Amino acid sequence: MTMRLVAAELVESRQILPGQWLQSFHAPELATGSRAGQFVHVRTGDYSGLVLRRPFSINTADPATGIVTLHFRTVGRGTEWLTRVREGEQIDMLGPLGRPFEVDPRSHNLLLVAGGLGMAGVRMLADEAVRDGRQVTILFGALSASHVYPSSLLPDEVEYVVATDDGSLGHHGYVTELVPGYEAWADQAFACGPHPMLKRLAALAAGRRGRLGVAKLGRKRGGQTDPLGSTAARRKTFLQVSMEQTMGCAVGACLGCTVIGVNGMLRVCREGPVFAAEEISWEAIS
Amino acid sequence: MKARAGAARPVGVTRPRVETGSAAVADLGAPNVARPTMAQREALDRIDLSIDIAPQRGLVLPNPILVASGTFGYGVEYGEVVDVQRLGAICCKGTTLRPRAGNQPPRVTETPGGMLNSIGLQNPGVDAVIEKYGPIWQGWKVPVIVNIAGDSIEDYVEVARRLDGVPGVAGIELNISCPNVGKGGLQFAIDRDAARAVTAAVRRATELPLLVKLSPNVSDVRPIAKAIEDAGADAITAINTLSGLAVSSDRMRAFLGNTYGGLSGPAIKPVALRIVYEVAQVVSIPIVAIGGVTCLDDVLDFLACGAVAVQVGTAIFADPELLVRLGDELRLECLRRGLTSFKPLIGTALPKWAGAASAKGAEYRP
Repeated sequence: MTMRLVAAELVESRQILPGQWLQSFHAPELATGSRAGQFVHVRTGDYSGLVLRRPFSINTADPATGIVTLHFRTVGRGTEWLTRVREGEQIDMLGPLGRPFEVDPRSHNLLLVAGGLGMAGVRMLADEAVRDGRQVTILFGALSASHVYPSSLLPDEVEYVVATDDGSLGHHGYVTELVPGYEAWADQAFACGPHPMLKRLAALAAGRRGRLGVAKLGRKRGGQTDPLGSTAARRKTFLQVSMEQTMGCAVGACLGCTVIGVNGMLRVCREGPVFAAEEISWEAIS
Repeated sequence: MKARAGAARPVGVTRPRVETGSAAVADLGAPNVARPTMAQREALDRIDLSIDIAPQRGLVLPNPILVASGTFGYGVEYGEVVDVQRLGAICCKGTTLRPRAGNQPPRVTETPGGMLNSIGLQNPGVDAVIEKYGPIWQGWKVPVIVNIAGDSIEDYVEVARRLDGVPGVAGIELNISCPNVGKGGLQFAIDRDAARAVTAAVRRATELPLLVKLSPNVSDVRPIAKAIEDAGADAITAINTLSGLAVSSDRMRAFLGNTYGGLSGPAIKPVALRIVYEVAQVVSIPIVAIGGVTCLDDVLDFLACGAVAVQVGTAIFADPELLVRLGDELRLECLRRGLTSFKPLIGTALPKWAGAASAKGAEYRP
């Protein structure tokens, strides 16, 4: 679906974790036309002070009810304003924007890795994968037990494994430390979270074939490989990451939200927010 | 979606209503853009919003609402969200002779009432722009003005030469004032002789209508504006962004990858108004105003200060529909005032006599 301006009516708003909100909006156009990994650009109410829209991953989208949800943390005036919107009020969303996660049709076991609010970036992919009959494991990392995304908000079919930095719930340590235990099981991995986490995952993914003893046999017939960044190439890659960057227009016009790729600048809003791990120049990411 | 548009305005957004004191307003009642009466529609259609922003060479825009360079890409990015054919003109992203990768991210951040950006003139180079977008622009009735930048006079001249005669290119806007690159041409905008030299050189290289964009990052803009006019520019665009800084959240460094950024948005409107007001009193070529336009009142303010047209930039990000709406609202405003053209609105706030305080000099500056 091409992007459009949509009036989304707030149906429900609740705080699910300290400082983190889950809001449901009635926006049938977005609910039916969006794919996991895409985002919406939300106009804030007070234009005199806040001149930019705010990008949010589409957390879930239900075509049957026309409901899309956003999951966000209050980090500034824009998100604070959003928490004060009352049920029944309409807000202005531009979307769906960006390119979605690309799942190889042959992939059966999907590993989703989320750090903190990164859950919002991969949450919808869990729904899509379960719907398509795939096995899903979500590895989730947070500061402490009080910041762990409630398992009640996930589909029942999903295996949910938690790591906390202080060890108050699940694995004591970073979520990336859980990944080696799943890399043989997983056909593909999808991640969203802080850039250091994504960087570590990209390093793990790069060494995966070697560790698993998977040989790369011969040359591909036809000799042609899909160009880096194409949908076909992304579909074949092991790790896809959803990146974050401060954003201006969100449609690819202002070139504000770039990250550094191996072949030059990439716009998070247009080439992303989902990238194959090989597209990103990780040494330039801090 | 369309039908609900009236109710769909974002929560808490109060769009200032235009208050006009004219008695003619009462007779017309409150004309509604969405559903005017037949008589009103005929009257609206009679209102002429076209404006020639380069009278010596001829660059007639269908209306005085332009999109500012750098905020609208090459005109195709917003897709169906904005009907480009209803715009006055499109100023495309700053274009250089060779491709540029631009600055290190992060490149944008919001500030009170505005935003800072330091894109650093990322663009694929003039040849790629002509090849990729020229054919698209050729099919549009909206004029496309190509914004060009360079490190040296030779660069500017070469880019202008390559654009000359390209179908679909209606004019050139000389960006001599990008604050975000080491040698992005800012040196041309802060020195009168350099501004004169680069303008004159480009003028010799092309017969395209030539706009020159002023920098506000100077102590007095008037001698520079005069030099640009003398060097043969067809119009002046005022203003580019103000140089600014944001600090990272850990307070250990500057936020933007490039350290400095250019400030735009409603925060800079008073500065832009002041500069348009000053420049309008020293040059006779048209002025295209830019700086913080978010509503019709802002457009009318700039017109009153002597601009013949305005560019909209940062506001597009929040409200892409604003571009088309401003044209409609300006038409309606003319109807309310009983005008058949918006031209009588131009320059009404300028001093009426020579030697007015505002024209004397830099008396208000520290």
